[in-house]
Amino acid sequence: MSTELLIWLLPLPPLLAFFFVILFTNRSKALSHTLAVGAALLSWLGSMIVFIRAIQQPHFGEHPFEMSIPWFPTGETAFQIGILIDPLSAVTLFFVAWTVLMIFIYSVGYNNFGQPKGDHDLPGLPPHGATLTDEHGHSHKVPSIEPMYARFFAFIGLFAFGMYTLVISNNLLTLFVGWEIMGLCSYLLIGFWYAKPSARAAMIKAFITTRVGDVFMLIGIAYLYSQTGTLSYREIFYNEEVLHTLATTSSGLLGLSAAAMIGILLFIGTIGKSAQWPLHVWLPDAMEGPTPVSAMIHAAAMVSAGVYMVIRAYPLLSAGYEHGHLTQPMMLMAFIGAFTALFSATIAVAQNDIKRVLAYSTISQLGYMIAALGIGGFVAAAFHLITHAFFKALLFLGSGSVIHGMEHGVLHTGEHIDPQDMYNMGGLRKKMPVTFWTFLIGGLALSGFPLVTAGFWSKDEILADAWGHGHIAVFIVLALAALLTAFYTMRQITLTFLGKPRTEAAKHAQETKWTMTLPLVILAVFAVSAGWVGIPKEFPLIGGSIPNWFHDFVGGTLLEHPEAVTFSYIPLLTSLVVALGGLYLGWVVYRKVSAGAKDPLQAPLGSVYTLLKNKYYFDELYDKVFVQPAYWLSETFAYLFIDRKIIDGILHWVAYVSSIIGTFLRNYIDKPIINGSGDFVGEGTKRLGRGMRFIQSGKVQQYMIVALVSLAAFSVLFYYLLSTTP
Amino acid sequence: MEIVSNYLLTFILFSPVVVALILMLLPRDQENLIRWVAFILSFIPLGLSIALWLGFNSEQPGFQYQEQAIWYAPINSSYHLGVDGISLTMVLLTTLLTPLAILASFGISDRVKAYMVLFLMLETGMLGVFLSLDLLLFFVFWEIGLVPMYFLINQWGSEKGERELWGGRKMSARNYASFKFMIYTMAGSLGLLLAIQMIGVVAGTFDLLKLYEVWPSLSQPLFGLPISTVKAIAFWAFVIAFAIKVPVWPFHTWLPDAHTEAPTAGSMILAGVLLKLGAYGFLRLVLPLYPEQSKMYAGALGFLAVMAIIFGALASYGQSDFKRLVAYSSVNHMGFVVLGIAAAAFATGTEDANIALNGAVLQMFNHGLSAAGMFFLVGVIYERTHTRNLNDFGGLFPLVPVYGGILIFTSMASLGLPGLNGFISEFLVVRGAWPIMSVYTALAMIGLFFTGAYILKGIKMVLHGPINEKWVGHISEISAREIVVIAPLLVLMLWIGIWPAWILNVINRAVMMFF
Amino acid sequence: MIPLSWYLVFSAALFAIGLFGVLARKNAVAILIGIELMLNSVNINLVAFWRYIAPDGISGQAFAVIVFAVAAAEVAVGLALIISIYRRRGTIAAEEIDMLKF
Repeated sequence: MSTELLIWLLPLPPLLAFFFVILFTNRSKALSHTLAVGAALLSWLGSMIVFIRAIQQPHFGEHPFEMSIPWFPTGETAFQIGILIDPLSAVTLFFVAWTVLMIFIYSVGYNNFGQPKGDHDLPGLPPHGATLTDEHGHSHKVPSIEPMYARFFAFIGLFAFGMYTLVISNNLLTLFVGWEIMGLCSYLLIGFWYAKPSARAAMIKAFITTRVGDVFMLIGIAYLYSQTGTLSYREIFYNEEVLHTLATTSSGLLGLSAAAMIGILLFIGTIGKSAQWPLHVWLPDAMEGPTPVSAMIHAAAMVSAGVYMVIRAYPLLSAGYEHGHLTQPMMLMAFIGAFTALFSATIAVAQNDIKRVLAYSTISQLGYMIAALGIGGFVAAAFHLITHAFFKALLFLGSGSVIHGMEHGVLHTGEHIDPQDMYNMGGLRKKMPVTFWTFLIGGLALSGFPLVTAGFWSKDEILADAWGHGHIAVFIVLALAALLTAFYTMRQITLTFLGKPRTEAAKHAQETKWTMTLPLVILAVFAVSAGWVGIPKEFPLIGGSIPNWFHDFVGGTLLEHPEAVTFSYIPLLTSLVVALGGLYLGWVVYRKVSAGAKDPLQAPLGSVYTLLKNKYYFDELYDKVFVQPAYWLSETFAYLFIDRKIIDGILHWVAYVSSIIGTFLRNYIDKPIINGSGDFVGEGTKRLGRGMRFIQSGKVQQYMIVALVSLAAFSVLFYYLLSTTP
Repeated sequence: MEIVSNYLLTFILFSPVVVALILMLLPRDQENLIRWVAFILSFIPLGLSIALWLGFNSEQPGFQYQEQAIWYAPINSSYHLGVDGISLTMVLLTTLLTPLAILASFGISDRVKAYMVLFLMLETGMLGVFLSLDLLLFFVFWEIGLVPMYFLINQWGSEKGERELWGGRKMSARNYASFKFMIYTMAGSLGLLLAIQMIGVVAGTFDLLKLYEVWPSLSQPLFGLPISTVKAIAFWAFVIAFAIKVPVWPFHTWLPDAHTEAPTAGSMILAGVLLKLGAYGFLRLVLPLYPEQSKMYAGALGFLAVMAIIFGALASYGQSDFKRLVAYSSVNHMGFVVLGIAAAAFATGTEDANIALNGAVLQMFNHGLSAAGMFFLVGVIYERTHTRNLNDFGGLFPLVPVYGGILIFTSMASLGLPGLNGFISEFLVVRGAWPIMSVYTALAMIGLFFTGAYILKGIKMVLHGPINEKWVGHISEISAREIVVIAPLLVLMLWIGIWPAWILNVINRAVMMFF
Repeated sequence: MIPLSWYLVFSAALFAIGLFGVLARKNAVAILIGIELMLNSVNINLVAFWRYIAPDGISGQAFAVIVFAVAAAEVAVGLALIISIYRRRGTIAAEEIDMLKF
């Protein structure tokens, strides 16, 4: 099969699985997950074939796999859609295929396949557990299977379809199609347990917040399309002439060039999708969904898509970029990215929910990538995107495994505690060894533990870029964020796995099934090894022993291969210090938290801690500033005031005036004059008749006399007339 | 068969009337017989228009399948029919929605015969507007469509509710709605009639094809008025008549009332087809006949379109009545049609205008599908619960999973989710309008944003949330008949979303050759 | 020879007598008789004018014969009506038969 055809087919299996499950097999749980996992496996297989063929291709950046067909006509021309696998999408495809497959397999275990039906489980609520009675008559509670098991697999199938479509497409419009389909899926999956009011609110929040970005992005796409007449990546981003024209055309707004304007509009789409400040609020709430979904959203698909898009559009964003002079979109990205990285890292420090910590860490890491791109670190951003996808998927799935183990304990002991609160955990490393070790690897990768983990290499490259290009402010902010990252990661590991169990449930936690641990192990391998493909050449001791394959390969995506930044010890030492220092601090502060204790930072930080705990009150602020006014604007202003009061008021007023005029006409014209004269004629005739009635006696002889007299009279008259006329 | 293909348009146009006559002969108490006969025979126009679609040659310029017969010789008005790509899509939409609407109204048990007869008359009225190439004929059908709709709302509309007029005077809601609909549209068509008369007197013909040729070069004055004044008056008369029908903000308030009170199938047709008559009028009459005036006032029209988009979405978001929410969404969506038309009017002949018009026409078709679907789904839930208040629903998803899935699908089509039909047309409109009217297009995005908000509000309030004990055991899953109604719409939504070329090719050729 | 005027005077007298009978008598049968007299006075006129003015044709005689026939028919119908009225109302006085006004 030709590679191009294979690429076309990549997104199809999950889509077909979605339709099959929804339409036909939704009653059979086993069949549904077989279809979905099988589809993911097929897509994975295809992706691996494509990836291998891609890396074997010499000068792949100049000769990517590309093919397009007309989609719909636009005047004389037709809009083309198609597929493109170039170095950037090849590596993206690689991590997407792996993480998606792992998440699919993990979902089987996570949704308790093979467990009995729950006692009181309802669709729309998480499973509550089932009571089993063994042969000795002992009854005990065990986890129960998800009531909407088949639906879950259908939805993540569609999700995978969206991501594959986005990755393989060669133009911004089909990218947007995949982008929005993922938006829908995240909506459906965050609200998978829709009967929970919190989930119901979160699903809408996610969709609406990202939609803010989406409408800007749509404008950006329309603008780009009308400027260039195409949306194909290669024709715009790989075309010096087009880029130059865009960079020199004025957009007529704020002195921005067309390229800058489009770039900013597209970037706002990313702000929404990748949850950058100020549109970050949806992502922590998205934790309402089942954990595989969180992994899907935070690692494999949704948020990565946002970053992927700006990396893809980097030539446009940097059009007109000269050394030392950032373009406006790049400045914006550097600012937003760096700010978000630090900002959400601080929030993560004060969260107790195991998944929420990870959620804020995702926002922070995405900020890293955005900032990297903002300072011109194209390859570094792509590198961090990939390593992050692996270790963040690992961490999310690991946290899901932890929660699962805790739920088991909760069911067993019957305690009423939140199985996601880290303060209810502790000492899980002995109960759940596989989860512990893989989570530890993921955590270390996230903190950038030197040399062995993937996160170290990608983060180091970003810091090196920031330093090397002279953006000291960005460098400092990112370094601080890295310190905090290491700190809260160690806090999380310490609270969860180390020390002693703080609750009964934690004592009875259990390692999860192989369907959940196997993906953890595989992802852990990548969380370590994915970094080795991008070791800088000049790195002390080991540099050069392994070629910096990643830089050469992905750099080929651009028209001009980006120069690797010159090596400096300062960023290297900084990243060593912040990673190890953060980890150590985290361990020192949290290693002795006992059951029922408060957060050790609460006392020293005081009100700052409360501020962090409440996420700087952004939710409350947005509620006051945007949500409430929107309600007021729509219901009170637009509907009741404008429509009902003003417009309908005017209409009613017209009707009222017409009715008054009508009443007037009726009472003063119609009734007296028109009707009056009509009535007068009728009445007069009647009266006349009544008056003449006596004549008609009915007696023939009288009639005769009348006739005779009249005859005589007329005769006389005629005679007179005739005689007088000459 | 020769005669059918020679007079295909006449057959399409009058077959509903023939079916209505057949229905009149059936005994009144045989309700099921009447329903089935109406349903099955309403496939005749659909079949014929599919034949029309297949036989239509989109590469050929001008109108096809033309028929001309003497009708009103003394004033040079003739029975002249013909289709091009724009009217063809509308004819297809009309004939498609009518059988579905008839099937959807199988639940009606009050005076079934009269209902079905009126419905078929309505179909002829609408088809006549799309098919006629003579202004007077156009007007006649324009008015014919009005009357059955009035009775449908007035007689078969929802029984509850009342509206306060002024000073405590009240009126039952369906009377109010039907009256408002009738009077408002009549007020618009008054100007339309005036304008048509003026054109007829000045040009000496009502035939559109001749008018397209002679109209721009006319110079003789009418009643002492210079021709430019005559044209301006006729232009505004046309614009107001069509703007009311579309409806363009601020002429839109009849729509939520009429939609809300009409019976389910009536709303389907009202939203699906009747609103398109206005937009079609813009495309067929206003733009070709008054290019200069259109260009001059395109900005104002664009502004009103944006207002419709924004305020339609806002008002929709502010509703607690499910049907009214969907009704306002029509204002919002038709705003995009008008935005596309306004942009095209401003820059006639450019590629951007072409794309905008493609988008506008496709949006007409798409809105026909999704709005009809949404109204139908509202009707389905109303039939079971007898309430439209969103606060009474909530948590219905576990009770009606299939219905829920269909509702989400249709809502997403209405929201403009990529991969479904609405996205293509909205994107084309935005793409076409952006270089021409950047500010308006940017403002329209506010509306697009709130589109998401109200759609999600609808889904949230109906389906999601804790299971609603009130309806457990009282609400049944969507029936097979109802699935048959909605299924063709779903298929088309998906089909256009994934592969729009089959319909856009026809529209694109027509738009390019016509403008 | 008797001059025409004599016939005419006679005829006029007969007509006047008949008219008086029609107008003045109460008995319906008498009224009928008066009508007969008036008809016959006309006949006399017809015949007289024929004889004196246009003796060559037969139109005068023909008209007279037609009048006879009409008179006979009229009497037959009239008497039948009178009998019918008498049966219904028990009177044949013209004064009391005023059903025309209804």
